[in-house]
Amino acid sequence: MTSSRSARRSLTAAVAVAAAAALLLTGCSGNGAAGAAGDTSRDQLLTVPREDMGTFTRNFNPFSPKVGPMTKEAIYEPLMVHSPADGKDTPWLATKWEQAKDGRSITFTLRDGVKWSDGKPLTAADVVYTFGLQKKLLGGFDYLDKVTAPDAHTVTFAFNKPFSPSVYEIAGHFILPEHIWAKIKDPAKFTNPDPVGTGPYTKVEKFESQSFELRKNPSYWQPEKQHIAGLRLLAFSGNDSANLAFTNGEVDWTQSFVPDIEKSFVAKDKKHNHYWFPATGAMINWQLNTTKAPFDDPAVRKALSMAVDRDKITKVAMNGYANPADCTGLAGTYDSWRDASVVNSPSCDWTKHDVKAAAKALDAAGYKEKGGKRTLKNGKPFTLDISVGSASSDWISVANIIKQNLAEVGITANVKSPDWAAVQTTYDMGTFDSGIVWSGNGATPYEFYRGVMSTKVVQPVNKKATENYHRFGDKKADQLIDAFAAATDEKTQHAKADGLQKLFAEDAPVVPLFTGPEWGAYTDTRFTGWPTAQNPYATLSNRSVSTVLILTTLKPVRG
Amino acid sequence: MRLVLRNLGFYLLAFWASLTLNFLLPRFMPGDPVSRMFAQAQGSMRPDQIAQLQKLFGLDHRPLWEQYLGYVKSVFTGDLGISISRFPTPVSDVIGSQIGWTLLLGITALITAAVLGNLLGIVAAWRRGGFLDSAFPPLLVFVGSFPYFWLAMGALYLFGVTLGWFPLRHAYDVGLTPGLNGEFLSNVVSHLFLPALTIVLVSVGGWMLGMRNSMIATNAEDYITMAEAKGLSPSRIMFRYAARNAMLPSVTNFGMALGFMVGGALLTEVVFAYPGIGYQLLNAVQGLDYPLMQGIFLTITAAVLLANFIVDLVHVRLDPRVRVR
Repeated sequence: MTSSRSARRSLTAAVAVAAAAALLLTGCSGNGAAGAAGDTSRDQLLTVPREDMGTFTRNFNPFSPKVGPMTKEAIYEPLMVHSPADGKDTPWLATKWEQAKDGRSITFTLRDGVKWSDGKPLTAADVVYTFGLQKKLLGGFDYLDKVTAPDAHTVTFAFNKPFSPSVYEIAGHFILPEHIWAKIKDPAKFTNPDPVGTGPYTKVEKFESQSFELRKNPSYWQPEKQHIAGLRLLAFSGNDSANLAFTNGEVDWTQSFVPDIEKSFVAKDKKHNHYWFPATGAMINWQLNTTKAPFDDPAVRKALSMAVDRDKITKVAMNGYANPADCTGLAGTYDSWRDASVVNSPSCDWTKHDVKAAAKALDAAGYKEKGGKRTLKNGKPFTLDISVGSASSDWISVANIIKQNLAEVGITANVKSPDWAAVQTTYDMGTFDSGIVWSGNGATPYEFYRGVMSTKVVQPVNKKATENYHRFGDKKADQLIDAFAAATDEKTQHAKADGLQKLFAEDAPVVPLFTGPEWGAYTDTRFTGWPTAQNPYATLSNRSVSTVLILTTLKPVRG
Repeated sequence: MRLVLRNLGFYLLAFWASLTLNFLLPRFMPGDPVSRMFAQAQGSMRPDQIAQLQKLFGLDHRPLWEQYLGYVKSVFTGDLGISISRFPTPVSDVIGSQIGWTLLLGITALITAAVLGNLLGIVAAWRRGGFLDSAFPPLLVFVGSFPYFWLAMGALYLFGVTLGWFPLRHAYDVGLTPGLNGEFLSNVVSHLFLPALTIVLVSVGGWMLGMRNSMIATNAEDYITMAEAKGLSPSRIMFRYAARNAMLPSVTNFGMALGFMVGGALLTEVVFAYPGIGYQLLNAVQGLDYPLMQGIFLTITAAVLLANFIVDLVHVRLDPRVRVR
């Protein structure tokens, strides 16, 4: 009895000692921050964090919406690469393309000598197969009638109507190898663990839930551009931990938002640490529900717009990284489309901050002020809600600035920020008052104007809408939008886009606020050749179609 | 034995109830997975992709009761479906790849905190008014009342960034291949240390106070005085007479904590970029990923019930009074 008791007692003591010892021992074995820092052996891996993926799952199926990083950037390639930074189209798997005169078809000529990473050649049949699979799994491409391959190097896409924006949609689509995918029973649920692609880095190695490597495609079609030995992807469960790795110099290239980047990152190594935030994002709008009075009146929408201080919004809420909008509603990407005659005309004043003019316009529209508060026509106080998802702290600041601005003209605004799910439901069903909302961001202004002004995308209240939540449509806009889509030459397209800008300036379907920036920062201690404001061949995005341009341009620093 | 069987019946009932809640609650949340994904993409997805994704996911449009029957059936066949936010990875794969790290971190931190806290509590109550008793409780409560996020960030910056003693992230170094060798294991331990330490720091106070209080109550019992009168050694009285009886609430707490631990330590995972269930659950809730949410909730429910069941059994062993009733 005695022995067992003392045994237990000493066991308790032993556990305590062991726990303490374990704590001490592990303290000694911590080996600090080992990483890629300073590696200039020429075999260094380009290290890229994903701040939005806490862990990786081995899924390289490009049809999956949450596919493994770099699948559509480094493993599979499109026919053509459109860079939003300089607006240039770079021929990629296709060397040229030609639109039929009637706009009802487009023909691509494939590049010679392109091989899949397993050594088999890329053929027109692969392209035909890819689009067949796309339509079967995901649908979309409603205008696409038939895809045919007259010979092994030519693919023709026939449409059921003239539709010029198709170039970017078709040419920007990834191409899959038929000889692999045709054998898969259910391609929608295929995780594609060992992808075969035409891209520069296709070989998945050392796959772990927190990191993996992509190594060179041995049969890449431009081997002279595979300067870097490979990519290393790291998983992070949020901006904070990803930014810590970045400011510590352990990753090369980030796309997550770094607060006060000048101080927290650039100042650490002025020579090597850089960022570039070109305004190539979508136009961010303050949308007013046009099914509700008084927002159905364009004069009111314009007056409210004049009350908004866009300079303050871009400087304070967006840290100075965004560009204020003008009355065409066009984002920074579309500068070449912008019509100076619209921007410079007096009808464009409604996007300029002018409290007095705003008050006057509201008076004229019949919303009188009494004791600093404005009333609606039915005598009730003029109040409105601004709904923003709670996760978007920057947009909540935007909404709060608008709230202050509106107070200056006697309107009471309430900023409501529940979870995005709740906000999104009110957008979808058209029951909201107003909100801060993104907009379509295609290669041409077509997507944007169709999304904010076409009657074809307007849904009645309480019927689910997927765009045009503000529910505004203009028949005149429909004509211009259709004519734009049918036009096959740039001149006609520009003429129609000018018309749309004029109409936007008249209707004020939404209140444009600013062009969102494309975040991006890098350190050139290990790799050089990054896109910059002086050499804007791509944005600093590591998850968009122009990313492959960066991957094939960067060169390792030799120590 | 009858007691155990009766308990088992109760646990089955509780399991069914939580299974049903598990199914219903996510469906009361506003929105649907595809519009959530669309809202999160904020303009980088085209509207026609919504219809495309709905087609791809094959979202369930059957009536609720049919979905429920299918769900119950799939739970018992072990098929948890395919995650939407990580389409097309099966839910069981998503959970399976994370739960090991969650358990490692959780169990390490829980056992360390419970053992340390209980020992401190026992000794503090035994030597009432002594140094341990007067200095530790306020200190630990003070540390424990820091916001966890702040404490973890502070520890990470101090020990990870400034001093460089510990790695800053992940469960092991990038490029290391998992295996049962000394290099990998010591690497895992060094990565585990800081996250576990912060959890221990904030939780050890609770264990200590709980143990100390129940120990003080026990110390006033007659049988302690009796034991002292018999001339037993103080340490024997402390551990075998007082602590064993004072331990019961702690055992219950330990069981509860063991069950909830499976839910993961979200903040720890975020700060230290440590893999685990917590972040998956957050993602699933934000993305309205019903299958993943259900899978994780189910795992948590099962773990909590199982842990409670085990605690019940342990109680039967530790406390003879339970057996009589």
